[in-house]
Formats: sequence, structure tokens, C-alpha cells
Amino acid sequence: MGENSSSPFDGSDRGRSDAFSRSTEPPRLMEVAGLAKAYGDQIAVADVGFAIGQGEILGLIGPNGAGKTTLLESLAGLVAVDAGTVHWRGKALSADRRRDAIFYIPDGIRPYQDQFVAHVLAFFAGVFRTPERTVAGVIASVGLTPVLRKRVNALSKGYGRRLLLALGLLAPHELVLMDEPFDGFDLRQTREIVRVLRTEATKGRSLFLAIHQLTDAERACDRFILLSQGRIRGCGTLDELRVRTGLARGNLEEIFLALT
Amino acid sequence: MLSRKKHARAPFAPLLVKELREIVGGRALWIMLLITSALVGYSFFQAVSLYADASAAALQSPALAVSLSPLDGVLVPTFGAHYVAVTLLFPFVAIRSVSHEKETGALRLLIQLPYRVTTLVTAKLAAVLGAFLLTSIPALSVVLIWRLLGGHVAPAETLNLFFGHVLYGLLVGAIALFSASIAEGGASAAIVALAFTIGSWVLDFTVAGRPGLMEWVARLSLTQTLRVFEQGLLSAAVVLGIGIVTAALAGLAAVWLPPGTTLRTKLLRSLACVVVAIIAVAAAAQPKLSVDVTEDQRNSFSPADQQLLANLTAPLSVTVHLAPEDPRYADLQRNVLAKLERVMPQISIRLAEGRRNLGSPGTDEAYGEVAYAYDNRIDVSRSTSHREVLPLIYRLARVEPPAPASGADYPGYPLIANAEPALAWFFGGLPLLIGFVWWWSRLPPSITMSATEVKNERA
Repeated sequence: MGENSSSPFDGSDRGRSDAFSRSTEPPRLMEVAGLAKAYGDQIAVADVGFAIGQGEILGLIGPNGAGKTTLLESLAGLVAVDAGTVHWRGKALSADRRRDAIFYIPDGIRPYQDQFVAHVLAFFAGVFRTPERTVAGVIASVGLTPVLRKRVNALSKGYGRRLLLALGLLAPHELVLMDEPFDGFDLRQTREIVRVLRTEATKGRSLFLAIHQLTDAERACDRFILLSQGRIRGCGTLDELRVRTGLARGNLEEIFLALT
Repeated sequence: MLSRKKHARAPFAPLLVKELREIVGGRALWIMLLITSALVGYSFFQAVSLYADASAAALQSPALAVSLSPLDGVLVPTFGAHYVAVTLLFPFVAIRSVSHEKETGALRLLIQLPYRVTTLVTAKLAAVLGAFLLTSIPALSVVLIWRLLGGHVAPAETLNLFFGHVLYGLLVGAIALFSASIAEGGASAAIVALAFTIGSWVLDFTVAGRPGLMEWVARLSLTQTLRVFEQGLLSAAVVLGIGIVTAALAGLAAVWLPPGTTLRTKLLRSLACVVVAIIAVAAAAQPKLSVDVTEDQRNSFSPADQQLLANLTAPLSVTVHLAPEDPRYADLQRNVLAKLERVMPQISIRLAEGRRNLGSPGTDEAYGEVAYAYDNRIDVSRSTSHREVLPLIYRLARVEPPAPASGADYPGYPLIANAEPALAWFFGGLPLLIGFVWWWSRLPPSITMSATEVKNERA
């Protein structure tokens, strides 16, 4: 069982320290406890518990097959879980109401392929009644302007990822879950997108990013959840994880290997 | 801080526009339009040719002219070609609105937007209806061309026929949406949808005309829903029935569309949906209200007879000693029984004969008789004509037959026309127009946002 998974987020203070232990702790937005999902005999995630604060960028770190996507989809209400609770600002948030609070950008999708990028953005802006200036800002910040008149199926992998990112930013939700948000970006582009995400976090939006590239995760995230074989192996800031593993100068990769 | 209430309800228009763009963006719609244009055009040409042949004889004899109705002769066969295209091709157009989103992952985004699942399905169904109306352009252009050729068009019966096809298209669209919602991919969904539509044809061919349970099963055929409109009837029961079944299929699609629901929950909700639909369809079948919208009032007796029969409040019981497959029964049904059912407040019709070999009707002397019982009085007739049956009923009811009406009779509309020039439209002009609109629909949008505006926003 993961070390943070002893139902620590049931409204009491018990167990808070490990999963959410920064000294300058932001207000808690979402708390997850005892989340479990299995596909037949195969356990995808088991007894997962953690919390995310307002304006925080939380990284979900793990190799392929660790259960990152299942965890994100479970939180978004797109997968029926076997057990577990999600609390939003201290109140239980049922699966069918998750979309009111959480928006999830899956990995590996290329939606609305026959439509123009401008139309896809206009659709999301229309749904969320996003002001035109905000839409223009999002387009500029993720660098979509050159491809607005292109069809989605004509976009490169990087621009496809930027489009998904833009859709996530157009959603007014306080918490956005992103699966592999840096996949398809080179180093410079990754830095650029990290800056965009950081700006969003300073506005109060929380981001939960599933990342398997540990260097990208180090750049982008405030805290990390290390997931392996569906279980949480560690949770905290980089410094906290260094203390815990005794790797004073260790990077995330070394810490991950030490804990898993 | 971002507010949850801010995005509690989303406007319907962007969703509908998106769904329409999704359907128009696919090639299936345009291919179907091209095929429909050719099918409808050829059917129209054939129908007009046959109508012209019949009209040539009718112009010599006014009695023959009476039987020439453009509804039967031209419009029903031409719209029939549209029906074939809708049955076989339209599922592929409608399926795309769900299966494409499933395959590309867009569904996982869509399902998170602040819409109820029923709203999502409603938008898809509305887009499917829009696509159906587009595919109806060849059939609708037939009406215009027929008028240009000098043909007669009765607005009420033509609109009723088109309304029937719209309901049928909506029903096929709902079947396609349901199929796509339960299937993983487009190909599987197409198999499920075609199993419904083509299976319906099989029902027509194999069990139609058989008595008992088979007769009831045959009524489930989708084709049966169109027959009523082709006969010139606007039936409340049929309209309500199609509406309920369409809504039920959309409801089932809404049950199966969202991920994140367990199979057990989906099955339970589906069961509830089906039970409610069955009860609603049974209730909708009760009202006998129907309107005869044909210009020749072929589904009604004369107005005077209609009025008198409507005032016969006691139950009329009819026992038919004929096999259902006997042509005399078909005549009796068309000329008398169907009309009586529409007008009389209380009527029960019973078939006394089961299935039998028409080649050897046996020794039953009563075979061929039709017994009419009204107010404890019974009389028997072998006639299949209302001219003999109605006086019989009036005698049983002890009322005076109405005086013969002096109004104008249906004249019939013979027309010798050449539809060859119309082929140029269906095989040339219309396909070119379809191609042009397809090309136009693929032009990139104009972007009004200026670079300066973007830079200002960033600043």
C-alpha cells in the first residue's frame, strides 16, 4: 500500500503531513482517498490518496503502465472506480459532478480532425462563454496563431498538443488534469509551455500533470506524486523527497529509482 | 478564483454548430447526396414515363383519368428511391457523429462539457435531422420539376408524404446514434444499424400478411411507418409512435454514450428506458385520430356518409370469413374496413379464418362471408365494396342513408410529359452543385482577430 494511502483526507488532520506537507501550504482544493481500480485481475491503481492545493502544479510521475492515465480518468469521472472518495473543498464530489470542477485533457487524442482549429477553439469558447480577448490571449500564449486556418488533421504533433493545451486553458475549471502535456515538444517549446502553465497557476488554477519525462516534471511542478504499479511510492516537493531518500543532491530520476 | 456556477449551463448553439460541422465535414454525407441524386433522378424519370403511358389512355376516357393521382404515380415512387438511400446509406452519415468522436477521443472531451448527456444526444439528433434534410434536396427538387413539367401537386398530401419521410429519416438516424453509442467503432455500429434497417425489410417480406402474432411482428417493420403517409393519412398513433421510438433510441444512446458508468448501471437504465417506451407506444396506439389529407379523399367515405357513420355510437362488430392472404380481404380492408375504423367510434373486426390454401378453399360455405352486427342485429354480405356494405350498415342501424352528394368529384390529373431533360439536373447540375457546396464547406474560415490584438492581449 502507498504510504499516503491510509485514508488521510477524510476531513480530519490525521495523515495530512505526508501527502501535503509543505510549510507554505496553499488552501486545499481536492482530496482523494482510497482510490482503487482494477481491470479484472489486473490492478490499475490501488488505495491512492493525495491532495492538491489551490494554484498548485502537482506532477504525477511514473513509467508507462504505472496507472497514471487510469488515475486521471478516474478523477475526471471517465472511469468507474472500484473504491475511493474525492472531496472538493472538503465536500464529497461524486463522479457525475466531477466535470463541474475538473477538466481533463487526455493523452493521444486528436479531436475534431475534420474541423478547422479556429472552429474548434470557437466551439470551446462558445461553450464556456469565454470572452474574445481571453481566447485571443490563450491562442497567443500557446502559439496557435499560425495554424488557426488549418484543419486539425493537418497539424503536427506539437501543434496538436498545443491545441489540446489551449482547450484546457479555455475551460474555466479550477483544476485541470493533463496527461503528458509536454509530449511532442522540444526543449525550447517545453520551457515555453511550462511558462504558460506557471502563469495559469499564479492566477489560482491548479494543474495535475501526468508526466513520464522526469526532467520536464522537475521544471514544471511544485510537488510530485511518484506512482509505480498503481501505488503511490512517494509524495512531496523535490526537497522533501530528497530528505526522505537521503539523496541530498539527487534529481527526480534518482529519487524515483530509490523509492520504487 | 474560478467560479463553478460560471459554467453551470452552456449554450446549445455552439454544440449544435459543432455537430453540424462534424457531419458536414465527413465525406459520407456528400457521397450519399450524389448517390441519392442519381437514384431519385432515375426513379423520377421512370415514374413520369409510366405516368405518361397511363395518361395517354386516360386522356381518351375521363373514367380512367380519375385513377391518375400524381401522389401514387410520381411522388411516392420517387420518394421511394430516397427511402432506399436513407435505409442503406443514411446510417453511415449519422453514425459518424458518435463513432468519429469515439475513435478520435473527442468524446472524452465532449462528455466533460457542461451539458447533460441528453443534451449532447439531442444536439447530435438535431444535426442528423439537418443532414437528412440536406439529403432530401434531390427528392424535394422532384416536386419543383414536376410542377415545371406541368404536373399537379396537392400541397397537403405532398407535405404529409415528406413529413413521413422526415420521421422515417429521424428514426433511422436515432437507430444509427444508438448503434454507434453501443459499438466501439464505426464499422461495428454500421453492422448494428443495418441489422435494424435491413432486418426490417426482411420482416416485410417474410411475415407481412400472416395472421396473429406474425401480423403484429410485421407491424414492427420500419417500412410500415411510411406506408400510412404514402396512403395519404396523417395518423396521430403513427406520428406519436415514431416519436416515442425515436426518443427511446436517443435515450438509450444517452445511457450508453458516457464512459465512467458500469455495465450493470447501463443495463438497468436501458431496461427502464425500454419499459417506459413500450408503455408509451402502447398508450400512443390507442387514439384512432387520423386525417385523410389526400385530394381524392381515398381513405374516407363521402362527407355525408362520414358524418352519419360517426353518429352511430353503438358498437359495430365485423366478422370476416376470409383468409388474410385472400385478395378479397385486401379489397375489403382497403375499400371498407379501414375507412370504417377511421370513422366509427366503436368497431371491432375479427378474422374468423386462419391461414388456408387459396387453391382449395374447402367445403366451408361461409367462407367469403362478412357478418356485420350492430345493436343486436346481424346481416351478412360477400361484397367488398362500400356501395353495398354501407346501406347494409344503415339498415342494421335503422337510419336513412344520406342523400348522394352533389360536390365535384376528383378529376384525376393525367399528364403526358417527358422527364428526360430532368435527367440533366439529377446527373449533371445537382451533382455539380453538391460538389461546389462541398468545396465551399472546406474553405478555411476567415480570422477576424488581428495580430496586434493578440499582442495587446499578451501584454
